[in-house]
Amino acid sequence: MALIETQNLSYIYSENTPFEVRALDDVNVQIDEGEFVGIIGHTGSGKSTLVQHLNGILKPSKGKILFDGTDIHSSKDYTRSVRFKVGLCFQYPEYQLFESTVYDDIAFGPRNMGLDKDEIDAHVMKAASFVGLKEEMLKKSPFDLSGGEKRRVAIAGVMAMEPKVLILDEPTAGLDPRGRQKIENMIADYRQATENTVIIVSHSMEDVARLADKVIVMNKGKIELCGTVDEVFSGIDRLVEIGLDAPQITRIFMDLKKKGYDVRTDIYSVTAARDELLSLLKKKGVQV
Amino acid sequence: MDKKSIVKFDNVSFRYEAAEEGEKLPLAVDGVSLDIKEGEFVAILGHNGSGKSTLAKLSNSILIPESGTVTVDGMDTADEEKSYDIRKTVGVVFQNPDNQIVASIVEEDVAFGPENLGLPRDEIRKRVDDSLKAVGMYEHRLSEPHKLSGGQKQRVAIAGIIAMLPKCIFFDEPTAMLDPQGRKEVMKTVIKLNREYGMAIVFITHFMEEATLASRVVVMDNAKVVMDGTPKEVFRNREALRNIGLDVPSVAYLAEELSKSGVNISPDIIYEEELVERIEKLIGDR
Repeated sequence: MALIETQNLSYIYSENTPFEVRALDDVNVQIDEGEFVGIIGHTGSGKSTLVQHLNGILKPSKGKILFDGTDIHSSKDYTRSVRFKVGLCFQYPEYQLFESTVYDDIAFGPRNMGLDKDEIDAHVMKAASFVGLKEEMLKKSPFDLSGGEKRRVAIAGVMAMEPKVLILDEPTAGLDPRGRQKIENMIADYRQATENTVIIVSHSMEDVARLADKVIVMNKGKIELCGTVDEVFSGIDRLVEIGLDAPQITRIFMDLKKKGYDVRTDIYSVTAARDELLSLLKKKGVQV
Repeated sequence: MDKKSIVKFDNVSFRYEAAEEGEKLPLAVDGVSLDIKEGEFVAILGHNGSGKSTLAKLSNSILIPESGTVTVDGMDTADEEKSYDIRKTVGVVFQNPDNQIVASIVEEDVAFGPENLGLPRDEIRKRVDDSLKAVGMYEHRLSEPHKLSGGQKQRVAIAGIIAMLPKCIFFDEPTAMLDPQGRKEVMKTVIKLNREYGMAIVFITHFMEEATLASRVVVMDNAKVVMDGTPKEVFRNREALRNIGLDVPSVAYLAEELSKSGVNISPDIIYEEELVERIEKLIGDR
């Protein structure tokens, strides 16, 4: 049984007004325990709306979401418990810090779960170590931190609830290469240590290819493609057609193909690109 | 003949004021000398906190140097009486489009600057229309900004700057908050302003691929300029760039890998087209 499953999920913003927008249209996805899922799609494709349904923040206009086989809106208590089991970190979460110390901000979730002081402390320290925050940093005001640090505090706040599913909506948006790398490594480490389900939403096919096992591509509120990284990216031409940006490496192969060379286009890492080009050159009899 | 200088930083240092009295923050910009010429397209790279944005704010007298001078088209930015003319000459576009839009209709927002210059009505109308056309937003001139996409909003913000007819525009990470589509729209607009309108562009970014589009790349680290050259010259310093938290375009890695594997290819390649051309040449020469 899937850990999370959506059945015919539809969501309409401003229903029955002239501004009605169908943000999700009959979406059926299954996410298994321990999976690392990447959700990609251009702006307005429904990515964020979808993940906001997975922990019950948005209520479906039609259809339902099952967690552990039970409709998450079946009772108020169940909805509440799902909010702790499915931790969602929004885009630009650094704007959502509000406590007077970093420690209190991270402890906000565990406190709401009704844990006792020692448990809260254990959760906070563990989350802080996942995101690489040093102990002296926990006493600081979150507003004295750099942008990248603030973002790590916000992510730690979600991790501190020790959710079974961690959802991160564009966790690296707006960061510099070093900041992006740090966050990516941190997510990979977290996932390895906890073996929990992780879902990341991203514009970047490169990031998703590096991190995820399974990719969901959204377009106009529907699931356009869903499968392993290789399966999904083999349809790269279609991905570009729906407004996604192919990795620079991949564009080289699309270009060669257009020029009539017999090359694969599902190439998105430097090593795969090197091997494919070497084999092309050898095939053409070029000495290498 | 050498081109005329538009913005000249001469040994400029700057520090922000500390929140507590008596404390002193480290220099945000430390002894920077940089000469931006008429019509040039310069990219500035650097990680967060390296001093890039401070440089943008020093360029049109939003900030005044602690020591050294910034000269805009012959005017010293420390001269308060000149600040009006300086801001007409150098415009700055910031990261977040939502923070730069003041009016509730697109064309009114673009008209804000020219109106403040006290220009005649016909001239304002012309400048607003021309600017919106230049950024490809003319058909949205009567739209409400909050209903536009991020890329569209950023282009409206750019139109607002163009309407002042500046000779140089500093872009402070204008694509950082945009999706790939919006990023492309903004890049296209910036390149057009440089090539067709001859405006000098200083483009601050985290994206290495964007920096390769410029004719000159300046790298900042720890408040100082540490590299300054053509994209090829700068991206040759792979190790040094990585050490200061930056990267090189993935095409450069690929060229390096191919060269290591015995392919007759320059490891200096940084453009996709360049790599494709080289592969075709190798096959064609066979």
